[in-house]
Order: sequence, then C-alpha cells, then structure tokens
Amino acid sequence: MVKISRYVLVFVAIIGFAIVLPKLYWIAFAQPIKKPFIQYSAVDHDFMIMRTGEDKGFTNTKGETFTREEYEAKLPFMYTRQLLMNQNLPDSLNGVEMDPHQISKYKSNFNLKPEDVNTPRPSLYPLFESQSGRATLEMPEDFFRINWRMEFIDAATNQINEEKSRMFSAVLYNRGFKFPATSINGIPTNLKSCDEGYLIVDSADQLFHVKMIKGKPFVRKVDLPEGLKFKTIQCVDDADKLYYAYLFSEDNHLYGLTQWDYLLERFPVDDVNPDLYEIRIWGNLLNYDVQVLGEGFTRSHIFDRDLNPVNEYAESWPVQSERKEGQIAAALFPAQLSMTDENSEYINFYCKASGSYYWIAVSLFLALVQFMIIRKRNEKPSNQILDLVIVCITGIYGFLAVNFFPNKFFK
Amino acid sequence: MWKSVIYKEWLKVRWFAIVYALLGILVVGYLFLKVQHDTTFNQTNNYWYLILFKKLNFYRSLQFIPLAGGLLVAIAQYFPETVNKRIKLTFHLPVNENKILLTMMSFGTAILLAAYLVFTLLFTGIAAFYFPTDIIAPALVSLAPWFLAGFAGYYLLALIVLEPVWKYRFLYVLTAATIIPLYFENGPAAAYQPVNLSLAVLTILLSIALLFSGYRFRKGEM
Repeated sequence: MVKISRYVLVFVAIIGFAIVLPKLYWIAFAQPIKKPFIQYSAVDHDFMIMRTGEDKGFTNTKGETFTREEYEAKLPFMYTRQLLMNQNLPDSLNGVEMDPHQISKYKSNFNLKPEDVNTPRPSLYPLFESQSGRATLEMPEDFFRINWRMEFIDAATNQINEEKSRMFSAVLYNRGFKFPATSINGIPTNLKSCDEGYLIVDSADQLFHVKMIKGKPFVRKVDLPEGLKFKTIQCVDDADKLYYAYLFSEDNHLYGLTQWDYLLERFPVDDVNPDLYEIRIWGNLLNYDVQVLGEGFTRSHIFDRDLNPVNEYAESWPVQSERKEGQIAAALFPAQLSMTDENSEYINFYCKASGSYYWIAVSLFLALVQFMIIRKRNEKPSNQILDLVIVCITGIYGFLAVNFFPNKFFK
Repeated sequence: MWKSVIYKEWLKVRWFAIVYALLGILVVGYLFLKVQHDTTFNQTNNYWYLILFKKLNFYRSLQFIPLAGGLLVAIAQYFPETVNKRIKLTFHLPVNENKILLTMMSFGTAILLAAYLVFTLLFTGIAAFYFPTDIIAPALVSLAPWFLAGFAGYYLLALIVLEPVWKYRFLYVLTAATIIPLYFENGPAAAYQPVNLSLAVLTILLSIALLFSGYRFRKGEM
C-alpha cells in the first residue's frame, strides 16, 4: 500500500511537472510570431500585405514596396475616412461610384475564433421585441430556454411566464419544431441596430427563425438541403442587411442565410473549419474577402458580391514547434500538458506529444543518471526497475518525480 | 479502540471544524447578500444578462474557501502529531499502522465533506430563490474543482506535515504548487465540465498520499 502511495505521488507529480515545466520554458523562451496582415486591393486587383518585425513595411504579392500613403490609397474601402480627409478617395472604382455612404453601408466585418465556438454556451437567452416602435432596443424582463417546450422565466420573480411560454411553444410545435433545441444562435445584446431574433436548431437538425413581433411569436422554418448540419451559426448585424447569419457546416463549408427570402448561399471555399481556424469575412461594395487563419498559415479568398471567385492568396510561416525554441522543447519534453488550449475556452488536460525523437535520447540519458544515483546509494537496481522505466517513458518529468519521492523502503 | 482513535481526531479538529463551517456559512451568506444588493441596484434582468453573457461569477468569493478548510483541517489534525513525534504513540497501538493513517485521513475527509455539503446545499438552496437551474447548474460545475482543491490541499498538506525530512518537505511543497493551480484555472462558467471527473480521480488518488510520508516518519527516515 505504501509503495502504491509512492507511485500515486510520482504519477501526480509527473502530471504537475508536465504542465509547469513547459509553461516556464515558454515564458522564458517564446518568441512572438509576426503574422502578415493581408487585404485585397480592388484598385490593383492584387493582395496588399502589411508586415511587422524585421520585414516591416507595406508590400504586394509581387514584392513591390509602398509608402503608407500609397498602401492606404490601394485599399479605399478599408481607409475610406483617411482618403476622404486627404481628398484622395477615387470618384469611382471598377465602374462603381465611390459614394462614402454606400461604402459604409456595404462594409461588414465578421471575425470568429475557435475559442468563440468551443466554449460553454448559456441555455437562457433574452428575446427582444423586434418591432417595439422605439429607436433603441430594451433588455426584456424575461429570458427563454427551449427544453421540452419554450419557457420564459421572469428575472425579477424567477418564475415561469406560463401564458407567454404556452403561446410560443404552441406556435413552434405547429411549425414542426422538435423539442428540445440543440443550439440557439442570435445576438443577445441590445447594442445592435435592430433585432432579428434567433436561429434555432431543433433535435431533428431543422433550422428555425424565431423572433417576437409586437409580443407575438414569429416562427419560420428554413429549408435546408438533406443532411446538412452545422458546427456553428453566427448571426450578424450588417448594415447591408444581406445575411441573417454565417453558417459553418459539419463538412467545413461556409454559408450565408439571406434576409427576407431565407436562401442558403454557399461561399465556394473549402476547409473553413471554425473549430481550428480563425475565420474573417470582410465585405465591401465590390467584394467579399474570406480569410482562414490557422497555425502557421493564412488563406485569403476573394469573391464578388454574387460570390463568384475573383482571386486567392495563401502564405505560410514556420510554426513555434518548427522554430529553434520549439525543437529544443520537443527534445526536452516527451509531451507538453496544459489545462488550457488556445482553440477552446474549456479547461481540460490538453496533451501535445513531442514531434521529435530526440527526447528519447534525453530520457535514456536521464535514466542512466538515475541508474548512477541508485548505484551511489548502494541500492539494489532490481528494486528500482520501475523507476528507471518511468524515467525512460516520461523523461525529465519522471526523473524529477522519482527523486522528489525517494524510493527507500525498509525491510 | 477505533472509537477512541476517531474521538481523538474529533478532539483535535472540532473547534477548527466548527469555526471554519461557521465562517464558510457566513461567506455563502455574504455572497447572496451581495447578489441581493446588486439586483436591487441593477435591474435583475441586467444582472442575469451579466452572468449569462459577460462572464460575471457571482460565486467568486467562495473560490478559496474550500482550500482554506482543507489546509486548516490538515494542520489541526497532523501538526499536533508531529510535535514531539506524538504520532509514534499511535503507531504503537496493536493495529495496522496504515489502517490508522487511513482512518485519520477518512475522518478529515468526512469532516471536509460535511462542511462542503453544508456550503453546497446552502448555496444551491439560496440560489434557487434568485436564479433558475440554467444559472445554478453551470455555477455548481465551476464550484466543483474548488471543492476538489480543498480535498487535494488537505491530502497534500498531510503528506508535507508528516514528512520527517525538511529537504523532502520542500520538494513536496514544490509538487503541491504544481498541482493545486490545476483546480483554479480561469474560465467561463462550466468551463471545467470536461475535466471535473479526471480531477476527481486525481484527488481520490491523492487521498492515500499521506501513507508515504507516514511510513517514512515511523521508520525514522532522516
């Protein structure tokens, strides 16, 4: 029993060291990775790249360099106000009038990080009044959930509003909603231009648009292609009122759900995986720019407003594990454990195995050192075999752990 | 004789346990006093909104209370045993030494469990007046690792206090310093959902840790 307690302690210590040692190593030796900032120039029909660090400057894909003023002049949709101030905004571009109001109306910025998707989601949401007749939205007194029915809970009394719950549940039921909801997606804040309610997926993977108009339920089922399931649905509040939401399917495709006619428009781009990559969708008067940013790469896909492909560009750079400090870490540590992950807000044991085999040499060397320690203490190596095996497998973590909890058992 | 052993443990920890339980109850009370105050000064729907969408942890004041209890009970229970090496008297009883240590550990665990149960029931009961289960359940998921940290802190401190050699005590403290933060990572409500079970297993494993230093103590390791 005592021996078991020692191995339990060794095991727990290995977990602790496998978390703390890599963390300390990266605090000491991590270097920032300078990622290029890529935007599409409708003036040059080329990508403009802003770099920081050693290659600091403004360039394009052909390697030409620009001053800041030249760079901004090639991106009139991004730097509209600066160009207006400098009186440099062109009158028209590609045959389209450059009216500042129109530019502003068609400008949209959407940004989604994996941690926004992989996060605990609340099960209560506020349902705003979509047509209150007021200029600003007001936070409702109650919050809804959709389990075996749609229930509104009044915050002040913490009681269910039966009448409202029955009314909304009945309409959902009559429209073919299969309770409970599996995901509720909206913009749960009153800091938006207007309210469009929620896009709700039911237990049969059907998609419904639900909102409240003058206190009454509005429920509209959205026609989906057979078998289409979504990883995440992100509602947007763009000034052009083109889409209710961007929808990311299980097979990593991107869709936009149009307002009013509920058409599901697919962006012709593959491998848009919101679980792993940061996704940016920038719209302007002429184009959509879908950017996919992963560890060590960025891809930019340009479409016209009808979603026809116009241009694309990709760039990659060495990731941390491929750089010198990453290779040293891979040799020192057989694996790196962490309770957090940059792609998730959930706490868990996240393990990254070493991408190199040098750690085996380091572990064998440490096992040899351990063997010499055992000899020096005049202990029988046969009693210490398990310790040596632990050091061989877990390297520096095991080496520290077996020495922190000495293997001295008396007869 | 087991009754006497348990009675001895009770004599050691009773005042610490009672005062700790009262303090813990006061903290839970304070927590909801603050909820009452905040919902009076903000509207309740806005307060719910902050909890649901702005990561407001209304139960944050409880964070280190379980750990404090674990450390307190460990000190109350094991520190007197190391003064003049009194625990050696216990080891001279005609019963298995590991069994005695495990009984002591189980007693401490039971005391902590009782206190934590009181806190949790009180928390859940009062919370039910203010919030629906949709807010209480994620809060309990977030509270779970803090309570587990209380047990882990108790087991690790018992290990450290019973260790006879100062050098190893220091090394155990270092090890404990790598383990305890695992229970206190920052995250939104219910972020610990995927890992709570693994942490519970880890904590249960730690419960037999004191057998190791107890063994070294009774064998007179120097």
